[in-house]
Amino acid sequence: MQYLINGLTIGSFYALVALGYTMIYGIIRLINFAHGDLFMVGAFMGWTVLGVFSATHAPVAVVLMISLLVAMAVVGLLAVGMDRIAYQPLLRASRLSILITALGVSLALENGALILFGAGFDTYPTNLLPTTTFLLGGATVSWVQVGMFTLSLLLMLLLYLFVQHTAVGTAMRALSFDQDAARLMGVNVEGVIMITFLLGGVLAAASGVMMGLYYTQINFLMGFLMGLRAFTAAVLGGIGNIPGAMVGGLLIGVLQSFAAGYISSQWQDVIVFAVLILVLVVKPTGIFGERVVERM
Amino acid sequence: MTSHLSASRPLLLRWGPLLALVIALGFPLGAPNAYWVDVGIGILTFGMLGLGLNLVVGYAGLLDLGYAAFYAIGAYTTAILSTAAHLSFWETLPFAIAFSAIAGVIVGYPTLRLRSDYLAIVTLGFGEIVRITATNLGFTGGPNGIYGIPPASIFGYQFVTENSQYYLALAFLLVVLFFTRHLARSRLGRAWLSLREDESASEAVGVPSVRVKLWAYVFGAIFGGFAGAFFAARLSAISPDSFTYTQSVNILIVVVLGGMASFPGVLLGAGVVVGLPEILRFISNWRLFVFALGLIALMLLRPQGLWPAASRAHDPFRNLGPPGDDEDGLARTRAPADPNAPALEVEGLRRRFGGVLAVDDVSFRVDRGQIVSIIGPNGAGKTTVFNCITGVTRPDAGKVELGGRSVRGMQPHDIVGAGLARTFQGIRLFKALPAFENVLVGMYTRQRAGILGSLLHTRSERREERESLRRTRAWLSFVGLEEIAGVKASELAYGDQRRLEIARALASEPDVLLLDEPAAGMNPSEKRDLMGLVRRIRGLGVTVVLIDHDMNLVMGVSDRVVVIDRGRKIAEGTPEEIQHNQQVVDAYLGSDGGDVDDEAVNTWPS
Repeated sequence: MQYLINGLTIGSFYALVALGYTMIYGIIRLINFAHGDLFMVGAFMGWTVLGVFSATHAPVAVVLMISLLVAMAVVGLLAVGMDRIAYQPLLRASRLSILITALGVSLALENGALILFGAGFDTYPTNLLPTTTFLLGGATVSWVQVGMFTLSLLLMLLLYLFVQHTAVGTAMRALSFDQDAARLMGVNVEGVIMITFLLGGVLAAASGVMMGLYYTQINFLMGFLMGLRAFTAAVLGGIGNIPGAMVGGLLIGVLQSFAAGYISSQWQDVIVFAVLILVLVVKPTGIFGERVVERM
Repeated sequence: MTSHLSASRPLLLRWGPLLALVIALGFPLGAPNAYWVDVGIGILTFGMLGLGLNLVVGYAGLLDLGYAAFYAIGAYTTAILSTAAHLSFWETLPFAIAFSAIAGVIVGYPTLRLRSDYLAIVTLGFGEIVRITATNLGFTGGPNGIYGIPPASIFGYQFVTENSQYYLALAFLLVVLFFTRHLARSRLGRAWLSLREDESASEAVGVPSVRVKLWAYVFGAIFGGFAGAFFAARLSAISPDSFTYTQSVNILIVVVLGGMASFPGVLLGAGVVVGLPEILRFISNWRLFVFALGLIALMLLRPQGLWPAASRAHDPFRNLGPPGDDEDGLARTRAPADPNAPALEVEGLRRRFGGVLAVDDVSFRVDRGQIVSIIGPNGAGKTTVFNCITGVTRPDAGKVELGGRSVRGMQPHDIVGAGLARTFQGIRLFKALPAFENVLVGMYTRQRAGILGSLLHTRSERREERESLRRTRAWLSFVGLEEIAGVKASELAYGDQRRLEIARALASEPDVLLLDEPAAGMNPSEKRDLMGLVRRIRGLGVTVVLIDHDMNLVMGVSDRVVVIDRGRKIAEGTPEEIQHNQQVVDAYLGSDGGDVDDEAVNTWPS
């Protein structure tokens, strides 16, 4: 039970990042390797803003809110910039060259953070959040976990509503089916792609700040592991599928938590990947993925 | 193309490799210190890895994000066997190769049916699994790895100095280059390229896609393991840190940055990926950042890589001598298995897609040497009939016999092997390959060269390749494309692309050829030529079944016509019978159509 609670908490962080992978893949068929690093930048942004405000005596809730929003805004814009500069010019080129560009962006973000923040770990302040807990079915649950989980779910819900019920969301879905047809129907393809990157960045930043608050230690390489696990989550759920990414994220979180708890934390990633491979071998399109029928 | 260009390129191609070899041989003598020789060894090692991965990514088009795993398996095999079992480096080498090949099969086999993006994550996962396993197990030395690996030695001479290791690395690189080039230019290499371009088309012209992909994995793994074994003996100590995901990514960058499927490109890529960060060392912390920006800029400026593979072949038939009577050998000579059986017989064919019965109890037979057309309104199920016959779609019920032998349920490539070839409604050529290579891929099922023959470029393999090239020239001249054999398929005119597709299908020496809307998009004079071509194909002894909407073509060339509407056969007969069949006219013009003359039938909407 304890593992389940912990797993769901981290899983919700994974899900937020996985959503970015899945949305971007859904519309431009790019595995955006730099996405995990957006998460890292988000964590550092939150940390920086918290550092600035810790000198003032503003209420904790306000400070947290501001740092979360600033991180989301900055990373959202960063993601858009990344799209404009590095990806848009290559949308018509071979898919591997854009993939390599994404790897380059990832490397640039990591090393940019290394230059700015150094190679060591930076620590989030630990005195901001309440430490109260309660018992649920024999497991200790902290209110922080509840709060973060709720916030994640709320963000995912907002995203889901946005995609399903707004004009831009409809355009995004149209784009994922057929970019050229969408363009012919008058959809501003570049604009929609930009918004997708913006949303992906915003969610990744939220995840980064929460992860920072939850684990307190952040590092310029933290985006790598997150990217790996979130990408796994997106594929597990069926890449390109938004509810799939949410479920996939939670599943990976729980799986990892159980693996770490019952087997060993050294092997947790091996188990996660092994399960992923098994799932893909049995159902090659992921849990929620649809089969793509090829036309002759 | 100007004469200046055509003259200078072959010159570069002829002397370039020699020049590169001279530079590589002289490098340690000119290097400022041992450190730079070390960097040189790094470049050579990455060259081996890049060449290996190039087969997987550049040729077969399979994205592999865990290639370092094979490198690791090779390195650990050599390390463990030479420290624990005291084997010499050379004795460990076969094991390193064998274990990495086995690993290639293990990753490859269950995952090859996955789409490429899923393949990326599976390979990535495999890479991580191997690394974490090496970190956590006892016999691999845990996170510290393995120390005291003896260096390679020959007749008592130990490769311990930088310079000697450099030359050993160069020799190893040349070995890898030798074999990978043979593979790339063999029947297998062409099959890889065709898979990269269009997997279903490749399967439909006779390439056994799963097996061919598996070979790409296995060979990629073998060369990765080979490089790993060298790496272990050279450094005398290895640890899991050398085989991270970042390393896999670096190798991938070597291939894509250099130019996929381009040998000079990959070697250049290795130089850039290993050398550039070293050159940038003076800016310390900033160097990887600057390298990353440089990588992005290079990809933006040259998305096809620094030295892309040549897209146009320079006179592919130059070594063959004059054409002469190549075309004489094209006629069908193979004796039919059962001379009394019809060339193609379909009986009670049925196929359902969800709620739609796309093909409902269709039967027809095609006698040897006939030209039979299948016509019907759009959506009538004609292409589905073709797909059921060629094994692309599994029929729910019914019989499909080719020359008296059932081919129902067989894989598409096996059906090609049995003597049935097809073209596609929407042209599906291997776009990036020159015309003649498209045709060569079509010969896959008729070629016999095995893996070893390809790897060693044996005499019999060379003879077969030469013969294949000769037949390719004959097929291209048969359809009238000999002059543009070296041009990339995507650059051909539309009608030429249609004819190239026919040549590719004919290259598999079919008994029966299925043409799916060959006249679509052609102008009247091209259609007339096509009619002549179809008759000449029959003249070779090939039975032809075609789907088309163009009534001049269908009525002009067919011996018999089969009409399908809403999944059912509604009529069959000679062109005259069909033109005056009331049911057929109704199907096309609506049941209240009254009497209809030939003119109306000729111009129905397609």
